[in-house]
Amino acid sequence: MRTNSLKILIILCALFLLSGCWDTKDINHRSLPIVMGVAMEDDQYKVHLQIPDPSPTTMKVRIVSETGETVSKAVDKLSANLESSINLLHVKVIVIDKELAKKGVKDLISGFMRSRDVSPKALVVISDEEIEPFFSNLKNTTEPQSTTLFDFFDKNAGWNPEIALTRVWQVYRSIHSYTRDVALPIIKSGDSTIIEHLGSAVIKKGKMVEQINTEETLLVNAFYEESTYGKVEVMDEATVMIVKNSMDHKSQVIDQVPYLNSKLHLKVVLLETKGNPTVKEIRTSLETLLTNRFNEMFTKIQESEADILGVGQYFRTQIPKEKLKKWRSTQYPNLRIDIEVHTVIQNEGQLKLMTD
Amino acid sequence: MDRSFHVFLMYIMIHLGFIFFLYPNDIITSSDEAQWIPIIIGLIFHFVFLWIYMKGLSFFPKKNIIHIYSQTGKGFAAFFLLPVFIYFLLVDIIGVRAYSEIITIIFLSNTPSWAIIVLFLFISAYLAAKGVEAIFRTGVILALVFFPIVFFVLIASFQNVDWRYLFPLIGDDFKFITSPSYLKSFSAFTGGFLFLGFLAPYLTYKRKKVLIASAILIPFFVLAVYIPVLTFGHGTASTFVFPYMMTVDSTYINWLMFERITIFFILSLVTFIMLQVSLLLWMAYQILNHWAPHNPIFSVATLAIIIFITSLMITDWHIVEQLLWLNSFLRFYVIVTVPLSIYCIGLRRQGRA
Repeated sequence: MRTNSLKILIILCALFLLSGCWDTKDINHRSLPIVMGVAMEDDQYKVHLQIPDPSPTTMKVRIVSETGETVSKAVDKLSANLESSINLLHVKVIVIDKELAKKGVKDLISGFMRSRDVSPKALVVISDEEIEPFFSNLKNTTEPQSTTLFDFFDKNAGWNPEIALTRVWQVYRSIHSYTRDVALPIIKSGDSTIIEHLGSAVIKKGKMVEQINTEETLLVNAFYEESTYGKVEVMDEATVMIVKNSMDHKSQVIDQVPYLNSKLHLKVVLLETKGNPTVKEIRTSLETLLTNRFNEMFTKIQESEADILGVGQYFRTQIPKEKLKKWRSTQYPNLRIDIEVHTVIQNEGQLKLMTD
Repeated sequence: MDRSFHVFLMYIMIHLGFIFFLYPNDIITSSDEAQWIPIIIGLIFHFVFLWIYMKGLSFFPKKNIIHIYSQTGKGFAAFFLLPVFIYFLLVDIIGVRAYSEIITIIFLSNTPSWAIIVLFLFISAYLAAKGVEAIFRTGVILALVFFPIVFFVLIASFQNVDWRYLFPLIGDDFKFITSPSYLKSFSAFTGGFLFLGFLAPYLTYKRKKVLIASAILIPFFVLAVYIPVLTFGHGTASTFVFPYMMTVDSTYINWLMFERITIFFILSLVTFIMLQVSLLLWMAYQILNHWAPHNPIFSVATLAIIIFITSLMITDWHIVEQLLWLNSFLRFYVIVTVPLSIYCIGLRRQGRA
């Protein structure tokens, strides 16, 4: 009898322990923002949060903002003023003001990585307009659905190959890496669409140094072998759709000068033509177009000493680590890159191409 | 009773807990490039001493190391068993404290660590009091439930790997050998196998199975270090406290309903750690029982309370790291002397017979 009651007591105690709840807050007492906007206002972070507000009939979106010395301080203040506590667990997109990006986001990103409040998988985006109007426009134009901004970047939804896709951990990696920088998409609120995509910001060691346009971002994505499926490339003679892309690289160092031979293999499908171009004409014109565009973009990023293509990675075997530490400033500006584009026109669609 | 399979699973499980938490950081901090060299050196060390230990034990069928030492005299037994006993207690204290801290760092940031320690110790002590059979049977269940999760996460964490970070393959200096973090990393290799010497009268096992288990562990040692290095590069990976956890955190699986698989992974490993803690408690109880026989519940509870109080006195993570470093001296002492002495005693006895 005594052992039985002891067992029951232990089981009851275990009930409290094993429930694993400590300082719990119910889900209805939590606010789970999806989008976070960060700007800098006289050495203070200004944090905007877009919080979905489910009500019995419709879904509303609420936008709250607060300033603080650090992001967590601002979120804390917000949490104190709100009727529910803010939990950043589900933040999917972090929008950073362009001015802040130019000043540098090292502390901000390191903070996210350290505290683990925000998932390292959250996307980082740069806003070309000020955060305040961006969020209010977003609110005015959005249908009552809070994930619009996230869907824009989601590979299974609104993402296009011209949009750079960079996550918090990748930005953090680039800050500490010798040979790698990142491109972050730049957006602003649009007129007829919710978001207008303007291209990508080149982030070097956490600071924005340059901007490239959407077509150039496509090449960056192609360089990373992100699928560029569905991209329509317009030339004078024809419009094609890229169905497959791959790259291979050969690196060598001759007389301290790094050389990289890159081949971009493309498989395209013909969509529209103007006049009567031959297959060969279309191919050459596509190849020159892309080669020129790539070279133009590369000169631009090379001048800013930002290695968003991660070219330095290809030289890890040839350049010793001590030298690689100065990759951005010493070797990278001298790098000679030679890009060749190989195109295969997989098919010509339902219509025959005129041959003469 | 032959329980080779149980021992096999247990051997893998108690090592996995070590491998994925502290080991990657230790190796990455100790060497800039070619991390496979320190890993291989550690593995060789592991295999050599494991073999000597098992060979030594095989001279004494049906006897555990307490019996073997006490045959040779009381003073001799105390000389070898006391450090082992202290070592077990220390590993338990540090382990319980370190892993409760890891849990608070990674996900339960609001929960005070004493609550986690209580849970840890309560379950482990209960298992330890029930005896080694209970621990091993629990081990089989835990293995069945959690191995699939561990494998899934391991495969998923390859997602962001950039193979070019593998280079340069050959490092030219061996500075890592003297670095404290490298010596700390040996806890992953050598912390586990002492339990083999305590099983004897209760269960038997085939030596080959243990060797197979330790061979299976080799890829885990390599991957735990290399997946973070390949994902982030050494420069970035060395800024993390738990590089492997960070890598798991950065894998994005679209179709998975759980957003953060890290928590599942950590929870599986934490159960393995609990098993390890209970095994250590049970072994400490065995030694204690040899000197002062008592009811297992009473002894284990006392040990658990001592561990609880001492682990509460450790206030911050730096002290934990310092203790891990100090403990590595005792570990090397125990790991080198115990297998060698058992082997020598065995050889002498064979010579006499």
